[in-house]
Amino acid sequence: MTATMDYSDATRATGEAIIELEGVDKFFGDFQALKDINMRIGQQEVVVVIGPSGGGKSTLIRCINRLEKHDAGRVMVDGIELSDDLRNIQEVRRETGMVFQQFNLFPHLTVLDNVTLAPRQVRKLPKRDAEELAMQMLKRVKIPEQARKYPGQLSGGQQQRVAIARALAMQPKVMLFDEPTSALDPEMIKEVLDVMVELAHGGMTMIVVTHEMGFARAVANRVVFMADGEIVEVGTPEHFFADPQEERTKLFLSQIL
Amino acid sequence: MTVEAPVFEETPPEVEPARGAVDWARKNLFNNWYNSLLTLALAVFVIWALLALVRALFSADYEIIQANLRLFMIGGFPADQLWRPWAATYCFTVLFGVVGGSLSAGARDRATEAGLPHVRTTFRQIVIRFWPIVGLIVVILSFTTTVTPTLLTIGALVAALGAYYLGRVLPRAIRRWTWLIAVVLIVAAYVALAGFGGVGWQGWGGLQLNLFLAFAGILIAFPFGLLLALGRRSPLPVIRTISVTYIEIVRGVPLITVLLAGAFAIGFLIPRDLRPSLVTRMLIAIIAFEAAYIAEVVRGGLQAVPRGQVEAAQAVGLTPWRTMRLIVLPQALRATIPAMVGQFISLFKDTTLVAVLGITELLDATFIVNSQSAYLGKGLFVVTLSFAALVFWVGSYTMSRESRRLERKLGVGER
Ligand SMILES: Nc1ncnc2c1ncn2[C@@H]1O[C@H](COP(=O)(O)OP(=O)(O)O)[C@@H](O)[C@H]1O
Ligand SMILES: [Mg+2]
Repeated sequence: MTATMDYSDATRATGEAIIELEGVDKFFGDFQALKDINMRIGQQEVVVVIGPSGGGKSTLIRCINRLEKHDAGRVMVDGIELSDDLRNIQEVRRETGMVFQQFNLFPHLTVLDNVTLAPRQVRKLPKRDAEELAMQMLKRVKIPEQARKYPGQLSGGQQQRVAIARALAMQPKVMLFDEPTSALDPEMIKEVLDVMVELAHGGMTMIVVTHEMGFARAVANRVVFMADGEIVEVGTPEHFFADPQEERTKLFLSQIL
Repeated sequence: MTVEAPVFEETPPEVEPARGAVDWARKNLFNNWYNSLLTLALAVFVIWALLALVRALFSADYEIIQANLRLFMIGGFPADQLWRPWAATYCFTVLFGVVGGSLSAGARDRATEAGLPHVRTTFRQIVIRFWPIVGLIVVILSFTTTVTPTLLTIGALVAALGAYYLGRVLPRAIRRWTWLIAVVLIVAAYVALAGFGGVGWQGWGGLQLNLFLAFAGILIAFPFGLLLALGRRSPLPVIRTISVTYIEIVRGVPLITVLLAGAFAIGFLIPRDLRPSLVTRMLIAIIAFEAAYIAEVVRGGLQAVPRGQVEAAQAVGLTPWRTMRLIVLPQALRATIPAMVGQFISLFKDTTLVAVLGITELLDATFIVNSQSAYLGKGLFVVTLSFAALVFWVGSYTMSRESRRLERKLGVGER
């Protein structure tokens, strides 16, 4: 299998492309949030997206599971092109899990019900199978003992791990993370990152918006720098951090490192 | 970081600061000479008015209430069929008991599973919470002339308690069907009142009619209100426009207007032999009116659900309809409970408006008995109207306190 990357010098990704964005534009009214985004992400690849606030990182990954509708260009996920067709959208959402900055757990449901909801409603698993699957996922994020609690009873780090388990329970091919540790107290960041690192080592395809540079260095195949709705620079972590090419990248790195 | 757990235990009663009352009075009521004068004048007036009321009530002849108690409670229901309202009363006490017990057991189980403390409501707390109702029942019974109603009331309380414990010990599998038990009991109550030669609601009166119009009105209006609220958010402009227009027109009109429209407009539009009874038309008018208000209450609840909830549901692949049913509505409706109770309280009081169309509900009944020949010109309005006021106050006050308690319990507004 050959890697087919736009930035082939900058990737170690092995699989075929599972996500492809071609010339994607996104407008909010007159404001252009995404400008001609081109990106191909291989199977099992881990891509970290960084950049200043308002640069379009969230918008980018939200276009991949159609939480935002792109205005021009093409978005393909595992061979399915996103269009207005609701069935296509459902299919793409089955194959992509998403983890939000604010967790967005369902507060009226127990942890177990949060995790079994989609397997039962979307994949139509029987209750027993769904619960078995959910317990597996909760073990994977290391909180099976919290299954009967409500989200409000958990710490932020635990809530975010439940959110990861909830996404994993759909057995997605791709996981999207939008600043998963930004809302967490410092002492809870590690427990979430550990779970994500394990996920990456397990071969999950991941796009992660984060400012955790340690995470990027440890597991990213590529680092993408976005600003003003554009992809400014892409590189392997080694190249990217040691030898950034663009002025905007250098400036940003000097501010956060 | 909010670690706000759903709270199932009782909230401790508020403690009122008793000290500082003198200070407060000095600061607010007697801070200069004219304020002091005003305070004193007002105090004299209030005390005089209260004394007058008390004197009127104490020296009054309560025979008028005694003689008309049945009229106040059940209107012109045939005297030889009193077993019917009593049977219905038993149905409802059992209903409240079973539902209460089942809800309480559900809360207990959820709390236990989630490892939260669950403090049971004590008997003392129940007394504190429901003393106005208990007091009202005692007052009403004191106007009865035989011992039967008292015995039957005690029986009803026992039935309610029994049903409560039954509700608590129901196995989980059956507890899920509590709503069905409730529906069956409601139907049974209606059959007891109206079936097999009884009297349908078109012939009801007194407090029974007020309660019927309020409960049936709000319950039937609820689904329509929900649909209107959803319609208001519909992506289809036609549905949105219809919903908004309906809601805004109805909310711009007083209830009495809608009732008059129900009485006369519907009356003229529909041929005589197809025309529903006046009470039915009142009920339809009330439903039409309440639906618009409920729609606005529900809209508030829907807005209280954060956008992230919908996005999270979409991201795991839930369809829009399932997202609404499983994620948005449960949270939105829970947030609307206090406002819904408020809406119900005002409807309960507003059901007295049907008196304008000559229907003898409680308020009207307490008014017209003063023109019975035995009491004509005796000025007993203060007695009979006080009785009606007491009934409405007890109902409204208890419900509003319960709703505030529920609000604290659900932690509405502090997600
Ligand atoms: N729903 C929206 N409506 C209008 N503008 C938006 C919306 N979402 C994002 N934007 C704008 O798009 C730009 C990119 O936002 P975002 O993708 O959230 O940036 P980032 O995640 O990199 O901080 C910002 O300027 C933001 O204000
Ligand atoms: Mg963002």
